Amino acid sequence: MHISYNQKEVLKGINLSVEKGEVVSFIGPSGTGKTTLLKCINYLEKPQQGEIQIGDLHLNYQSLSKQDILKLRRKTAMVFQMFNIFKHKTVIQNVMDAQIAVQKKSKNEAYAMSLKQLENVGLKDKINEYPSRLSGGQLQRVGIARGLALEPELILFDEPTSALDPELVEEVLKVIEDVAKSGMTTLLVTHEMDFAKRISDKVVFMENGHIVEVGTPEQIFEKSVNVRTRQFLKKIYAEQDQQKLNIKGG
Amino acid sequence: MTLETGMQELLMEFLKTLPINIIIIILSAALGLLFAVLLTFVRLKRIPVISQLADLYVSFARSVPGLILLFIAYFGIPKVLPLIGLGTYDISPMHAAIISMGFYHSGYISEVFRPAYLAVEKSQHEAADSLGYTPMQKFFRIILPQMVPVALPGYGNALVYLIHDTSLIFAIGIVDIMGTAELSIARSYGTNQILIYFIIALMFSAMCFTTDGLVRKLEKRVAIR
Repeated sequence: MHISYNQKEVLKGINLSVEKGEVVSFIGPSGTGKTTLLKCINYLEKPQQGEIQIGDLHLNYQSLSKQDILKLRRKTAMVFQMFNIFKHKTVIQNVMDAQIAVQKKSKNEAYAMSLKQLENVGLKDKINEYPSRLSGGQLQRVGIARGLALEPELILFDEPTSALDPELVEEVLKVIEDVAKSGMTTLLVTHEMDFAKRISDKVVFMENGHIVEVGTPEQIFEKSVNVRTRQFLKKIYAEQDQQKLNIKGG
Repeated sequence: MTLETGMQELLMEFLKTLPINIIIIILSAALGLLFAVLLTFVRLKRIPVISQLADLYVSFARSVPGLILLFIAYFGIPKVLPLIGLGTYDISPMHAAIISMGFYHSGYISEVFRPAYLAVEKSQHEAADSLGYTPMQKFFRIILPQMVPVALPGYGNALVYLIHDTSLIFAIGIVDIMGTAELSIARSYGTNQILIYFIIALMFSAMCFTTDGLVRKLEKRVAIR
């Protein structure tokens, strides 16, 4: 996959290639454009110019037709920070609906696929619950199952654990790790540094709409020679240590 | 004539003209609903000029009293039709009533539907978009089912107002229950005025009560758990 574009305000001339099956994490300060970058890939944000290539689909953002947008979106799946689960549907309906509407699967096929995906994320016993009765961690796992059920070529995680209570983060990270290890091409925006370090093939450090540095987790987290990267990581780790101290002290 | 048989005859007269009110209510509710859907769509789409016209129309329909719209439709339409080359027609009072009540109602409920649409969170749109729904699929499978529970209470209110406003249609000569009441009061030189208005009040509240009940039932069915 290859994305490049040029958007004046938030993102400025980003150029990035991702191999099939690669796990790529995006880190960097808030408001840097990591989420915007991710949403440009499925056109939830509309870049002013640029190109994207996913497999054999090669598109120019300036000349996208409605069909192109659908094609782009049907090759990708997104997991949202705020889960974005359909409120009027049960867990299994949430996972089934796009398969029926978008992929024209029969109800039985969609049901079987959904059940399989929900089982994988550990929600087999919740399939008939409504979203209002689930915890954030459970909702996010429904979101992941919903995306995977469409068998996308690429899955986009947009800060999937940022809105979760601390004790629920782990159950979601575990599911994401399974996805990443399954060979699915994965792009992940996250503030969970240790997690990014552990699962990524490649880490992208972004700041002010630019890609500052791209490298293996080892390069970025341990051997970076870039001043900005080191400053950012130092600050993050200092904050984490501070939190740990507070917990011990309190 | 005893009081009882007089009473019976009076009630029969009312029951005979009640269908006129009911027909006008149902047809203008249907016309209003159809037109309101169109209006709301145009207003939300933000199409230059057309959307502004729709906005203007809605505030006009909502700010002019029903009785005046009724007169405008009844006396105005026969004057306007020849001007736009549609020949000269007299418009029947029934048609005038349905058109004016329907359009009055449409402005009102468009202002119920619009906020209901806006009440559906952006996150729901994003999720459907990201999954590759077409705009139509998104609307009918995801957005509309979440709009309906928000819109229903306001829509039920609008229906009740519509029912109330049909008490005006006798002003253009339709003999509905109000018309029957006026005639009957005139016949008896006003001696049974209070009784008759009381009967009319009961009939209107019966219609509203039924409508309210139906809307409540629907509300329960579509509620998001």
